[in-house]
Amino acid sequence: MQPVLEASGLAKRYGQLEAVRGIDFSVEPGEVFALIGPNGAGKTTTLRMVATILTPSAGELQVCGIDARKEPARVRERIAYLPEEAGVYKNLTGIAYLRFAAALFADDARERDAMVERGAEVSGLGERLRDKVGTYSKGMTRKLLLARAVMVRPDLAILDEPTSGLDVLNALEVRELVRGLAREGMAVLLSSHNMLEVEFLSDRVGIIANGRILASGTAEELKRAHGARNLEEVFARVATGGGAE
Amino acid sequence: MNRFVALLKKELAELVTVQALLPFVIVVIAFGGLGQLMSSVVPEREATVPVALVDRDGGAYAHAFAAALGQAGLKVVAVQPDEPQAAMRRAETLALVEIPKGFSAGIDAGQPQRVATWVKVRGFSFLGNEHGTRLLAAVESANAAVAAAVAQKHAPGTAPAVMQRPVVPEQHVIVGERSAQASVEQVLGFVTQQTTFIPVVLFIVIMFSSQMVASAVATEKESKTLETLLSCPVSRASIVSAKMLAAGLVALVGAAAYMLGMRQYMAGIEGGLRAGMEASAAPEAALQALGLRLDAADYVLLGLTLFAGILVALSIAVVLGAFAESARSAQALLTPLVVMMLVPYMLSLFLDLQALPGGVRTAVMAIPFTHVFLAGPALFMGDTRAVWFGIAYQAAWAVAFIAVAARVYASDRILTMRLGRRR
Repeated sequence: MQPVLEASGLAKRYGQLEAVRGIDFSVEPGEVFALIGPNGAGKTTTLRMVATILTPSAGELQVCGIDARKEPARVRERIAYLPEEAGVYKNLTGIAYLRFAAALFADDARERDAMVERGAEVSGLGERLRDKVGTYSKGMTRKLLLARAVMVRPDLAILDEPTSGLDVLNALEVRELVRGLAREGMAVLLSSHNMLEVEFLSDRVGIIANGRILASGTAEELKRAHGARNLEEVFARVATGGGAE
Repeated sequence: MNRFVALLKKELAELVTVQALLPFVIVVIAFGGLGQLMSSVVPEREATVPVALVDRDGGAYAHAFAAALGQAGLKVVAVQPDEPQAAMRRAETLALVEIPKGFSAGIDAGQPQRVATWVKVRGFSFLGNEHGTRLLAAVESANAAVAAAVAQKHAPGTAPAVMQRPVVPEQHVIVGERSAQASVEQVLGFVTQQTTFIPVVLFIVIMFSSQMVASAVATEKESKTLETLLSCPVSRASIVSAKMLAAGLVALVGAAAYMLGMRQYMAGIEGGLRAGMEASAAPEAALQALGLRLDAADYVLLGLTLFAGILVALSIAVVLGAFAESARSAQALLTPLVVMMLVPYMLSLFLDLQALPGGVRTAVMAIPFTHVFLAGPALFMGDTRAVWFGIAYQAAWAVAFIAVAARVYASDRILTMRLGRRR
């Protein structure tokens, strides 16, 4: 089966700074791949390159077999991106925001309405969707944004810290949602600082530091390889240079 | 197209808020109120201007002089000779006329006489000191009345008009190839009156729209909505043009509101000063003969020029906005645009831009907005070629900056570009 996402030798340079130094990874349909790493490791830059909002300085990047460097516009039809600190248009109501986002993906009004209906359901915001987003709590905003990302049924969802700002119950709900969508065939590339979340959600994990993927595999494989009890220990050993593969 | 409409609706929803609309409403109400105030205050003062009169002569010419002052619309209050300020206080006037002793005898002896006037300056506004200008005008007509009385006494057979003003100038003006009977002041007054609104509208529309579009871009960056938007299947050109169109539309509505308010204000002033305005107005026939009437085609050209100017401003602002990290810093980044507009605006208020010395003229003409300020006068001169050139020149600027904007928005720079800081 063709991977939904395939990156090889992917690199990004900002002037003198090498943010990502030639990384290789792939995500299969229905698979959740998590990138974990310390702050400034290159996670967000990688996610932004996959989301086609940053152009790679070098390497190959294919999404659904489309060259993201040559045809970013076509890639955007297949992906949905949720940035870590994403904001919303505060003067729009929740439902107007979903309708706006759906109109950018849908080909006709029927498709748009179906997307909005799905987004409203996924968000779980009920009547509050009629209120302006400016009145929402951080958690409500995050759920709206996540609903916006998945309502379009993308082939690949790129989620940067999907549960950031959510309380325990909401975070749990979101994780169940992401797992459910993956079961339906949606590929997920996510980054998170929450190791519990990563262990629960992801099929495979890539540990990134200084712009390089230092280790990758399933959570079980990584724990075994590094003689660790949990992913946090693996992360600490790999990220500090104590146990790179 | 549907995606563009969705973007445009979103931009308008973000721009048209109560906070954004409030200034427009306040301006319309405030200007309207000012206009009302002007029209109510001015005629009240216009009816009678009280003037104290000290007549130290008491002769026939002094009587003729005083009577003529009354006929010229002054309320003459005769007072006993005193120190001028004390006399004005007593008579409760802001002006005083003093006819000297021996006034009538001196005139009969063939010696011009001096009549002293005192005017108390009240504030430094034109309307506040109208009593001064009214007094001067009345003294002039009283002078003519005395001349008529002198003529009647010393040269009974001569027509008084010839004695007073034997030479009457008949003024002709040539504009382009056409000529008509009118004075240069009349023509200038008319053209200025007709074209003053152009720089005002331009200035308001351009400032509003460029601030809005730069803020819209900066706000997207600041509130972290830009990343999401850029990852959506919609072209960067659509994102940029939706922002420009929304800002342009809102700015036009804003300009209309300002114009409405300004009209009410001007109508208020004109209502009060109608008499004065009519005296200096050029006769309609002369304006027609000189071709100083703008027809529909001229207004289309004027509209196109304004549109081109707005487009230039928006395209520059959308690029400048990309440098901003926040809505506040976006305002500061617009300084080059403000300067580009202020230079021709300020110069055009006082100078003929076409008559500037060579190098300065080239520099000023290189500024795209200069051509908007020149369009009105050029149309009055019948120089449509210059107007078309201005439109084409501005269009070239707009195309160049839209191309730059498209490049910036299609690249990483939109996320990584910041002034004074490197990632």
